[in-house]
Order: sequence, then C-alpha cells, then structure tokens
Amino acid sequence: MVPISYYIMLSAALFTLGVLGVLIRRNAIVVFMSVELMLNAANLALVAFALQRGGIDGQVLVFFVITVAAAEVAVGLALLVAIFRNKRTADVDEVNQLHG
Amino acid sequence: MQFALTDVPRILPEILLLVLALLVLGSDVFERWANTDAARTEQHRASASLAALGLGMILIIALIQSGYVYRLPDDAPINFLTNIVRNLQNGGPASELATTPILGAFATDDLTMIGRLVVIAAAFLTVLLTYDARPTANPGEFYTLIIGSTLGMCLMAGSSELIMTFLAIELTSIPLYVLAGYFRNDRQSTEAGMKYFLFGAMSSGILLYGMSLTYGYAATAAVTQGSTGNNLTQFERIRELVAQAGEPTVLLTLGMLFLIAGIGYKVTVVPFHGWSPDVYQGAPTPITAFIATASKVASFILLFRLLTTTFPVLTGAADVIIPVEASTFTGWTSLLALLAFLTLIVGNLAALPQTNAKRLLAYSSIAHAGFLLMGLVAWSASLAMDREAGIASLLYYLVAYTVMNLGVFGVLYVVDQHTRSDEISVLNGLARRNLGLAVLFTIFVFSLAGIPPLSGFFAKFYVFMAAWQAGAEWLVIVGLITTIISLYYYLRLLRAVFIVPPDTDAPIPTPRWMATSLVLSALLVIVLGLFPNIILTIIDNVQAVAGR
Repeated sequence: MVPISYYIMLSAALFTLGVLGVLIRRNAIVVFMSVELMLNAANLALVAFALQRGGIDGQVLVFFVITVAAAEVAVGLALLVAIFRNKRTADVDEVNQLHG
Repeated sequence: MQFALTDVPRILPEILLLVLALLVLGSDVFERWANTDAARTEQHRASASLAALGLGMILIIALIQSGYVYRLPDDAPINFLTNIVRNLQNGGPASELATTPILGAFATDDLTMIGRLVVIAAAFLTVLLTYDARPTANPGEFYTLIIGSTLGMCLMAGSSELIMTFLAIELTSIPLYVLAGYFRNDRQSTEAGMKYFLFGAMSSGILLYGMSLTYGYAATAAVTQGSTGNNLTQFERIRELVAQAGEPTVLLTLGMLFLIAGIGYKVTVVPFHGWSPDVYQGAPTPITAFIATASKVASFILLFRLLTTTFPVLTGAADVIIPVEASTFTGWTSLLALLAFLTLIVGNLAALPQTNAKRLLAYSSIAHAGFLLMGLVAWSASLAMDREAGIASLLYYLVAYTVMNLGVFGVLYVVDQHTRSDEISVLNGLARRNLGLAVLFTIFVFSLAGIPPLSGFFAKFYVFMAAWQAGAEWLVIVGLITTIISLYYYLRLLRAVFIVPPDTDAPIPTPRWMATSLVLSALLVIVLGLFPNIILTIIDNVQAVAGR
C-alpha cells in the first residue's frame, strides 16, 4: 500500500498549484479551474485520511463537496456570461469599474 | 445516535424557512405575466409581501420557541394554545434536549437561537426595505434567494460538525453571489457578483483544506488510540481526540490556521478583506445591507463555536507585545488579536479618503469586524467569568451592529432610489430635503461612531472591557485611537447631510414600508442603547454551548 504521507504531499502540491493559479492567472475560466483544483486537493487529503483508518466520514464529506462544487461552478459560469455580455472579455483585470 | 421525532420541533425555524422559500418561488408562477410597469410592480409586491409576512411569522415562532419573551410555566392549564407553546418550547434552547446537538451535527442551544433571531430579523428588515423599491426582474427568485441564504445562515449558527459547516457556508454564499450580481445589465452589479464569487470560492477551498487537515489529525489520533466510529467530523469528537493525543502537532495548527483564514474571508478581517469594498459598492443596496450584517453574524457565531469547541488546547494568550515576536504566538487568541489590530488600523484608515458612501461604509464595516474580534480575543482570559463577558460582549455587538448597519444602508437605499447614485455628494443637504430621514441617518451614524447613549457605544464599551480583562490592554488602546480616527469619516457623512447646501431643494420621498423598516431599526438602536439589560439577560443564557 502506498504510504499515507505520499497522498498528503500530492494534495499539498495540488493545493499550492491551485492557490498560485488563482493568484497569477487572469482568465476567469482558468481561475475557476484553479479553485476546483484547490477543492480536489482537499478531497484527496480527506479520502486518504479516511482510507488510513478505514472510516467513511471523510469520504462522505467528499461526496458533499463534489456536489456543492458543481452548484458553485454553475453560478460562477452564469455570472461570467453576464459579465461577458457587458464587457466582451473574461479577463479579471479588465473588470475594474469598482476601485478606490 | 438516531434522528428522533422529538428533533423535528428543534429545527422548526429552519424547516419553516425552507417551506417559505419554496412557497415564494412557487407563488410566482400564479402571478400575472408582467409586461407593463403596473403589472411588474404588482408582481414584485406580491412576492415581497409574502416573503415579509412569512419571515415575520417565522420570527415570532422562533421568539416563542426561544422562551426569552415568555416562558410557559409548568402548571399552566392544558388547552390548545398552551399545548402549541409547550411543544414549541420543548424544542427550544431551554429544554434538556438542547444539551446535545442533533446527530452531533446541529446544536439547538441559546447561541444558535440568538443567531437565528438576529439573522431572521435582518432578513425581515431587508425585505421590508425592498417592498416599495423599483421592481426587480423575477421578484420570486430574488426573495427565494434571500430566504435560502437566511436558512444557510441559521444552519451556520448551529452547525457543530464539519460537513454541516461546509454545506451551511455554501448554502449561505451561493445565493449571495447571485444576489450581489442580480442586476444582470448593470456593470457594477455583475462585477460585484463576479468578485464575490471568485473570492468566496477561493475561501471555501481554503476552508475545506483546513477541514481536511483537522480531520486528518483526528483520524491519525484515532488510529493510534484504537478509537472507532464514523464521527470524526464532529467538533466535539475532534476536541476529545486532540485532548487524549497530548501535545497538538503542526498538522492541527495548520488546519486551524486554514479554517480561520477561510472564515476570515466571510467576516472581512484584514488581510482577507480585499473583496468587500468592491462587493458592497457594486451589489444592490439592500443586498449590501444583508451581506454586511446577517452573513457576518452567522460567520462570527460559527467561528466562535468552531474555535472554542474544537481547539481549546490551542487557545493561547492575547497579550501580544508590539513589535510582534514569533514566540508570542501561543494560539488562536493571539492570532485573532493580531488580525484585530490589522483590521482596526486598515479599516479605519482606508475609510478616510472615500467619496462613495457605500464604499466608505464597507471600510467602516471592516473596522467593526476588528472590534468584534476583540470579543473573541477575550476568550484567552483565565477566569471563566471574563470569558463569558467576552462572548456576551461579542453577541451584544453583533446585535447592535446588525440594526445600525441595516439602518444606515437603508437610508442610503432610500436616497439611491430617488437620485440613482450612492456618492456622498447625493447626501448633500438631506436635512433640507427630508428632515426625518436625516434624523434617522444621524442616529445610525452616531451609533456606528460609538456616541452614547446609543447601542453602538455600549457595544464598543463592552468589548473593550472584555478585552482589557483578558489581558489585551494594547489592543484596547489601539481600539480607542481608531475609534477617534473613525469620528472623522462618520462626521464627514453628517457634514454632507446638515451643512453642505444641496443642488436642488426637491424633497426626497420615503415610501411607507421603507420608513417602517428604518424606524424599527432606529428604535432598536435607541432601546438597546438605553436599556442594554434587555438583551444582556438573554445573552447570559449562552454560557452552556451544546457539546462543549
């Protein structure tokens, strides 16, 4: 069996990639994907820890997260479409009416 | 542990909120198809009045259930009415059922009850504010989303388990993303929705990662201790496993930091506040009021329950000395003390140069989050009495903050309806254009600034006292200095209202239900300030938190 620490290291790496993606990438769709990566990094850690002790509580949480993430992305894409209609761009830097 | 029939009345306010949300959504189907302005207004008012009536009734039911206003005596005569009241109160926070959370996931103690009452009242006042407004597109959906997110906030206030926490936060946030971007053709509104969504989604990612680390620590500890059972997501179980495992490890501390950061986004503490000025400015004004008050109340209650139930071993001390040294970080209270320091400074200083009233109030609301954190910092006190004073001051502040912020955004909304702008300059000469509105505005702004005898003053006074007792004297001094700084920008608002001459003398009308909502808020601000004991005696019940 693969040691649990490998999973955790992979999940930490994925989470870091996700955070970097959110902070660095400017296209809103790519930012969404990075957020998904963050959520899935946490999912991986949860499943790995649940596997380690043979429990299911962590795995149940993962199911809920997957479901909620789908709902969240639906709302996010709808907002993105509304922005795109107004401004013809998906670049988060160009969406800058509010500042100060 | 099984879900029993007696658990149904315990979640009655939540069930009723869900029913109301579906009812408001469904009733929209039976409305006349709105092509003209008159029909659109009719459709809007039908949804708004249904939502307001429903929320008002749920508020009354929750008040009866809580037993804060009237507690049925044991020897009351048995008849139809007393049976209803008794059944309600048996599910309330005073019954012995309330000492254990439902399935370990949802506590129905006094903390939840106060959270529910404040959140439902905030939703009710928000809906009243929108009743006379220009009709929104698809009003049924608009009010369903408000009620849905109110339901999420009630669940947040009571959740005592990780899955429940995550679902409640998402149920609160997703409708709020939509509401912030509700005016699809308005660039500012869509931008606000987008920014709220991006930051919110990132914060739930961070929160979830914190959950996975905390769960991981509990799971590892359970393996070493040979403990079984699939309940490691409960706050209470994690606390027990942590206590048996001895010294907390880096894993647990990291998990706690991520959890604080995740919820920190929701309560807009510096450095997680970046989204809030943009969202508050761009979102429709009543939604701004709702986001600024209700969602913060729920998040603060959740933060309190999470930290005190799950991480008592990592409590720490609040006497951080400036300059901050790494060795002074002993636990979450010292971290929160540092965050409170940053929040007070940044919030108050950034509010000074603002020219947009909503943006200014957004920074003011960030600054208030700093004061609220001071109530949590008081948990580091060694005496139980001082800790209790801390939570009482936090809850009193939350109640006062909710009513005064709903009021101040409400006045801006009335002016915005007439002038279609929320710059400070549109407030110019408000006293000449509508004296009553100007007086209400003055009450709210004075309360925000902390001028006695309004409730904002006592709220600040209590958190300062609690934080001082807990040994965070330096933080109280910072709080006092920033309060004085804040006077400058609050008085700038009043200067516009009373001194600067207006461009036009045309009076600004205040529609009836908006006025009702504002007067209710103003009365609460004054009454809570003159008689703080009314609410403090209720808050004193909170000492027993279920499952701690």
